[in-house]
Amino acid sequence: MTQLSEEIGARAHAGGLVRAALFAWAVPGAGHVYLGKKRRGAVFATLVLAALWIGWSLDGNLYAVVTNRPLTLLATLASMGVGLPYFGLRYLLGYAGEITAPGYEYGSAFILTAGLMNLLLVLDCCDLASGHKE
Amino acid sequence: MPVDHVLLMTVYALIVSTFFAFLWRATPPDRVRLFLQLFVGLMAGGILLAWLMYPFPAGPPVG
Repeated sequence: MTQLSEEIGARAHAGGLVRAALFAWAVPGAGHVYLGKKRRGAVFATLVLAALWIGWSLDGNLYAVVTNRPLTLLATLASMGVGLPYFGLRYLLGYAGEITAPGYEYGSAFILTAGLMNLLLVLDCCDLASGHKE
Repeated sequence: MPVDHVLLMTVYALIVSTFFAFLWRATPPDRVRLFLQLFVGLMAGGILLAWLMYPFPAGPPVG
């Protein structure tokens, strides 16, 4: 194989990895479906979206960055890990959580967990796309 | 949505255990084994922590 075709192959490979990672972040489970792992993608989508839905139903906190509270940056990044649903909840539905709700703390935990689980799925898709995992 | 602590803890443990079983294991028997280990660990750990915290008062002092 010539050097040029190897370079083209490497770029195509990298492009596929980036696409898989983006799909995985944007829609829970979509990265695995893109890579041909349809059943696994469906299971992951169900689990992540179920956790998000439960957190939303409990009026948990959908974290946003608060000035002078640096840990909210970490929490916001974790919550955004769930992808487009975070932005749909915040900007389309105007949802932010209700601190006086009895399930607020639990709901916040479920929402954070959904985001962190989806971030793990992004990493898993990177491993699958790069051939480190089958 | 009901706020029953044990129910929510159980649901959380179910979701997280299933997630990692599918993420870290490829065959069904291995997934079931890991799921059970994680689920029992989470539930038992949660109940144990609850009992360890039991002697301590909940919330800030009155007044």
